[in-house]
Amino acid sequence: MTAAAATAATTAIFTAPGSWLWLARHEGRLAWRDLRYLMTGGGRWRGRNVIIVFILLALGLHLIAFGVVGRHAHMTLDVGTRGFTSITGSFLLIFFLLLSQALEQVTRLFYGRGDLDLFRSSPASLRRIFVIRVLSIAVSTTMMALVIALPAINVLALFGGPHWFTGLGIAVAAAATTTGIALAMASILFDTLGPKRTRFASQVASAIVGSAFIIGIQAVAILSIGTLSPNTLFGSDLVLARMPEADGALWIPARALLGSVPDLAITVVAAALILTVPMVLLSGRLGGYAIATASVHHGGNRRAWSTRLFRTTSSRQLLQRKEWVLLFRDPWLASQTLMQLLYLIPAALLLWRFYGDSRGALIVLAPVLTMAAGQLAGGLAWLAVSGEDAPDLIATAPVSPTQNLVAKVEAVLIAVLAIFAPFLIGIFSHSWTMALIVATGILVSAFSSTLIQIWFRSQARRRYFRRRQTSSRIATFAEAFSSVAWAFAAAVAANESWFWIAPAIVAVLVLAGAYNIRPRATS
Amino acid sequence: MERTVSAALRVTGLRKTFQRPAVDGLDLKVGQGEFYALLGPNGAGKTTTLRMVAGLMQPDAGQVSIFGVDALADPVAAKRITAWVSDEPMIYDKLSPTEYLAFVAGLWGMDPAVAEKKSAALLEWLELKPHAHERCEDFSKGMRQKVALAGALVHEPKLIILDEPLTGLDARAARLVKDALLARVRQGCTVILTTHILEVAERMAERIGVISRGKLIAEGTLEELRKQSGSSNTSLEDVFLTLVAEQEPAQ
Repeated sequence: MTAAAATAATTAIFTAPGSWLWLARHEGRLAWRDLRYLMTGGGRWRGRNVIIVFILLALGLHLIAFGVVGRHAHMTLDVGTRGFTSITGSFLLIFFLLLSQALEQVTRLFYGRGDLDLFRSSPASLRRIFVIRVLSIAVSTTMMALVIALPAINVLALFGGPHWFTGLGIAVAAAATTTGIALAMASILFDTLGPKRTRFASQVASAIVGSAFIIGIQAVAILSIGTLSPNTLFGSDLVLARMPEADGALWIPARALLGSVPDLAITVVAAALILTVPMVLLSGRLGGYAIATASVHHGGNRRAWSTRLFRTTSSRQLLQRKEWVLLFRDPWLASQTLMQLLYLIPAALLLWRFYGDSRGALIVLAPVLTMAAGQLAGGLAWLAVSGEDAPDLIATAPVSPTQNLVAKVEAVLIAVLAIFAPFLIGIFSHSWTMALIVATGILVSAFSSTLIQIWFRSQARRRYFRRRQTSSRIATFAEAFSSVAWAFAAAVAANESWFWIAPAIVAVLVLAGAYNIRPRATS
Repeated sequence: MERTVSAALRVTGLRKTFQRPAVDGLDLKVGQGEFYALLGPNGAGKTTTLRMVAGLMQPDAGQVSIFGVDALADPVAAKRITAWVSDEPMIYDKLSPTEYLAFVAGLWGMDPAVAEKKSAALLEWLELKPHAHERCEDFSKGMRQKVALAGALVHEPKLIILDEPLTGLDARAARLVKDALLARVRQGCTVILTTHILEVAERMAERIGVISRGKLIAEGTLEELRKQSGSSNTSLEDVFLTLVAEQEPAQ
């Protein structure tokens, strides 16, 4: 064989159709188009606009990073146990967030992509396809890790020296580790629960993993030292007394972050092993999981929503009941919407801990609950308004559009109030004025988010719930800004100050702005 | 001889423009108890026309009257006597057929006892009874279409509008749907449907309208259409192709 022929044969292994490189290129193209969709919201690609937004975003993130880590730039390897605890604690917060994302992406591998049938019916190696897809998850998790870490690393390197760039290696290692762990977790879920329940279980596990660490830290902080701040807890004697010495193995990633190259090498090698071992061991089974999910049958008789299905009911009640039944019958959707309520656990603990205590300690509840209500209502309103699976039926029914809309808004607000009622009752028995402020905050914030969802409605299947934030980024931002402004107003009002009017005006302006730029109906 | 039936549907000067006119000053009259098929090539404006009639889309101009009710001025009254079935059955995955029918019956304000009896009969007739309490999420396209059709029939509409109702159905399911529609017509109900399956229009429809570029270019019984196209003893397919070809711009 000539040298040219040998080169051609080698090239073919990587570039021929079905080869590793060919499949990787295919995945890369799909990932790039997903990213582009995320950046443009499905609209036209305007390079200049994207670059401007990117620069503004990068500047904003660097400013935030400066505020958060700027003062730690001169930290060195002799920070001691207190410093290592603080660094490791902060690192773990991000690590669990990455793990949550990776778990969701790995599970989606088997349920989400419509092209799996094509691959399954083709002679291409399914094992190869899944290995490449797992690697692409590792890449996207790395991107996410870098989005979080890079501004902080840049700020630290600028003010403290280039040794901080070892943080890049830590970010990559964290992404690889979380992908490997997520793959192993998804496989265990499949093997123990089967394909029918894994998607939901993984969804719940992902939400718990993502929030458990911060919630756990806050819970311990509230119960032990009476504060919500994790940093105060990390520096407390309670924690420091239980931590290993400064040269302990637990601090290897922290030492690597502070510029220790040997520790960085250990961390990267360990991460590579954690990713590679499950990938090699499990890649042969991944295709089987995908086939199993495609064969899932939900059938069988189920209990009806009522023993008396046919009864005289107003169309308003009927539409409301339909919204609640559809939500509660879809555990995946319910978990998507309700899991953010996990973040209310610290608020509940705070309420319990300071029950009967001074009014001051409860002030923190007003903004937390107001903000959570706005976000929850946004999700529920999207499902009710945009995620209507039978829009033609509703549109051709003898129910006026206003009646229909009022019923849906009521369905959302009643659900939100039902969820927050226990908190309101708890606060009411302590202080009725505080309960009134919190209830008003919850209702106004929820109603504002619902209005935004009505103005920016865009018909979609309920299963595309996750895409709601990319289909209208204006609606997403308006919803977030209005929730934050109402939360701020509730906090100031709870502090018995009339200055609550200022953030309330901001919230109204956000709503007015959203109303003015809402898409106009075309038919 | 001119038919003297009263109009179930009267459409006058209906117009809708997107980038170009989709429906261009369309006039249409369908008699009570008539089975009417609306044919046309892709993009001719059939679905847009029917969606405007069903109240799913607002026309730019024109009038729609259903059994004498001005559907644009009083849409709720018009919807009370109308049913709509599209080619893509839009039903709730998480409801069972019985729950879906109870929901539809409730929306149309039916008497619960009557609705329950009718639902049971429809589910039996459409061979859905064994699946009456299963959730629709695992149903095939044909089963979903049958559930949607049951939803359209349960509230006893006087006018049923169907857009490509037989797309994707197997022979048995298609036969069931066709039988159901013919039975309704025999009971005095009016049916308007669009279809690309010309054999369905040929066998079932009393009158056929051919639409092209948003305009009604021919209308009548098959015999009348043959005359209009200047060809006798030919199939509806030949007639249709001749009529549509005449409307195509010269290449």
